Amino acid sequence: MPARGLWVASLNDHKVTFSCPVRALFTLILTICGFWAVEFAIFHTGAYFTILRHDSSTGAVETHVHNELGRARHSLRQVLTIGDSRMGFLPRYANEMRQDTGYEYASIALGGATPRDWYYMLRGADPDANRYSAIVIAMEDYDDTETIEDYSVRAADLYYVIGRLKYSDIPEFARSFHDPELQWAAVRGIVLKGLIYKRDFQDFLLHPQERLDLAKLAHKDSYLWYYNYVGPNQSLEGVVVDFNNRTVTVPAGFSEAQKAAYRARFLDPRPPEKGVHSAFLHQWLGKIYEHYRGSKTRLVFLHLPRGPFIRPDQPPLNAHSSVRELGQQPGVILMPEHIFDSIERPGLFLDQMHMNGPGCAEFSRILAREVSHALDAF
Amino acid sequence: MLFNTIPFFVFFAAVLVLFYAAPRSWRRVILLVASYYFYLSWNYKFVVLLLGLTVVDFGAAIAIERAPVGRKKLFLLVSLAANLGMLGFFKYYNFFADNLAQLLRYPPNSWAYSIILPLGISFHTFQSISYVVDVYRGEQVAIRNPIDYALFISFFPQLVAGPIVRAREFFSDLNAWKHPSSEEVLRGVMLIVLGLTKKMAFADQFAQIADSYFQNLSAHPGGFAAWSGVFAFAMQIFFDFSGYTDMAIGMALLLGFHFPVNFRRPYLAFSMTDFWHRWHMSLSRWLRDYLYIPLGGNRHGRLMTYRNLMLTMLLGGLWHGASWNFVIWGGYHGGLLSLERMMGRREFEKRPPIWLYPLRAVITFGLVCLGWVFFRAATFADSRYVVSQLFHSGRQMEALIPKWLMYMTGASLVIALIEEKFEWTERLSRGPAWAYAAFMIILLLTIEMIGVTEKALPFVYFQF
Repeated sequence: MPARGLWVASLNDHKVTFSCPVRALFTLILTICGFWAVEFAIFHTGAYFTILRHDSSTGAVETHVHNELGRARHSLRQVLTIGDSRMGFLPRYANEMRQDTGYEYASIALGGATPRDWYYMLRGADPDANRYSAIVIAMEDYDDTETIEDYSVRAADLYYVIGRLKYSDIPEFARSFHDPELQWAAVRGIVLKGLIYKRDFQDFLLHPQERLDLAKLAHKDSYLWYYNYVGPNQSLEGVVVDFNNRTVTVPAGFSEAQKAAYRARFLDPRPPEKGVHSAFLHQWLGKIYEHYRGSKTRLVFLHLPRGPFIRPDQPPLNAHSSVRELGQQPGVILMPEHIFDSIERPGLFLDQMHMNGPGCAEFSRILAREVSHALDAF
Repeated sequence: MLFNTIPFFVFFAAVLVLFYAAPRSWRRVILLVASYYFYLSWNYKFVVLLLGLTVVDFGAAIAIERAPVGRKKLFLLVSLAANLGMLGFFKYYNFFADNLAQLLRYPPNSWAYSIILPLGISFHTFQSISYVVDVYRGEQVAIRNPIDYALFISFFPQLVAGPIVRAREFFSDLNAWKHPSSEEVLRGVMLIVLGLTKKMAFADQFAQIADSYFQNLSAHPGGFAAWSGVFAFAMQIFFDFSGYTDMAIGMALLLGFHFPVNFRRPYLAFSMTDFWHRWHMSLSRWLRDYLYIPLGGNRHGRLMTYRNLMLTMLLGGLWHGASWNFVIWGGYHGGLLSLERMMGRREFEKRPPIWLYPLRAVITFGLVCLGWVFFRAATFADSRYVVSQLFHSGRQMEALIPKWLMYMTGASLVIALIEEKFEWTERLSRGPAWAYAAFMIILLLTIEMIGVTEKALPFVYFQF
């Protein structure tokens, strides 16, 4: 078939042919549209979730959100909690008190998830912002204290929430990374989600049948796996942190790596304040607030137990922190900062940051009681 | 600018737009400027070398054409000396200096310099030599337009790693330039995507396995690991080089140029003779026309034929790199080709019956893999170790290659076998749009899901 010119122009007496073969153009457009359609069908409709590994970062987010969407509800007064690995809330203990509290609790808290991830997870679990009486958000503190890791350049967030992201999220999500390479990776990843899912897909190819079986099992039972989790019993009983002499003493059985981790957490200087974390929290907690603004859902912020040992150099009060500023908005409740002080004991912690099983149980009961009171009083 | 990077595709898209938007008389200049920009983006220092050789060969060809018969050779020698001199200095000086130092019992590196190999020098010097020799032989008229000649030498799709294009092929396209047809546009785009798939989804995956084996041989003892490592490199180099070539041919097609085929499913070869008819065909053709035949070819009896084959392959090996391992690799192939000649040429050129073909193809592939050991190993000692491991019947069964990659390789083998019989990828660009689109979608998804996209790995042949 000969090439056919779509249009012909002349320039400086030269005959210039902008020949664009129609058949080639049609076929290439068909190819691009076909590829986009297949890509969309696999990765933008949730189809890939049927084989996604439930314990990967993407899989964990998707599993939590899907479980929450499909959870049987026994009360109209629902409370959803969210946070990172330090949020040792176990809904089963809170729900054992349902007769007293009048609320049914659930959790989509996830280790490694940041407020950026929380926003997209909440948007997925509650797209119309009308399913819950309250959203409980667990904060490390109320002062936007600087963290060692700069969340604004945390590439892992793209992997956590890739299943939640839409094309319309591209500008905001990509811009939230303060690194041009990560911004580009975010744009590319949302447009071509397969680039982010590829590691999971290659892992699937290693043992396809086992993966299918596991995915099926996770879809059926993973809600109960999380719900019935009670946490480990190990504790920091016997560990001594001497803030005066700046020493850590551990009993037999603890490793040097554990000791070093305790030193880093309790004795090393805090990262200098640069306002980076505060800006990050302002943006993403603000997004969560915007999602629920005007709805009947209350946003409840709580201050997590600080740890098994309390550093003497606690951060100064920051009146302009993201949480305190949000606390002045209608529909937002700031729980008192010291309601979990009774948990700040070595016997209720697994390591320098995370509560153990008994600690989680105690924390969950206090949370359910205090939050329910606060909601009723609001 | 690597072919498998976004900056290159931005560059290529800009070139396409400028090329087709400009009046015809400007297009050669646009391509030349784009080609030099492409070369400059690698290393601006060596552009002087490229330009210098272009001027010398351009002038030498005209001088050869104008000179009386007796003096033609002088200008040919000037051109050859310039090309081979530069190639020799940049690529082989340290190799020969080091060997001479060892021979004379001087400390190693006594006369060594820190020399950076100019990108693509092995390819553009061979292309220049073929042009000047063709003019000397009267098979090609000397080009009078310096822009045309400079473009022939520097044309960016094939500047750094071929295919080695003959002057008459290039200038027939340039002088009678036609708009690519629908089929050519579709074929061009398909070759670019196919090349990217070969490079990113296959070559780069196998590269990680081959590198992990060859860079730490002692960590992977046993025959199974050795065969895995060597097989991975065999796959890496094929998919890498043929992927690059596919992209080069595809890009040239979109610009209205027709490059020769460089690979024709070489791992389906049933003999070493057949392998060299399928592997890096433009180099084989160059070695045949400018080395093997001038040496006498097969015209002076059996012994001279074997000698010529051996010399051609030794020099072909050395062309790849300045190390004894490449010489051994060339010698190994020369020896096998000579052996096949001894056993009867026709037997190894004629396709065997269908029942014998699989066995012959497997044996040939095994022999080729054995040769790759010398090509890939860093030192001769490493090569010896790997060869010893290949025939070592230890208990270790460490398979370095993941199953899914083996399945994909199996699928590509099936595709190659079907292609061998029906040449259906050729027909795709002429077939129904849905079939073309379906094939392309599979390729694009393969790049997306399997391709190594975290970092752009350079092409293996760029180092030559």
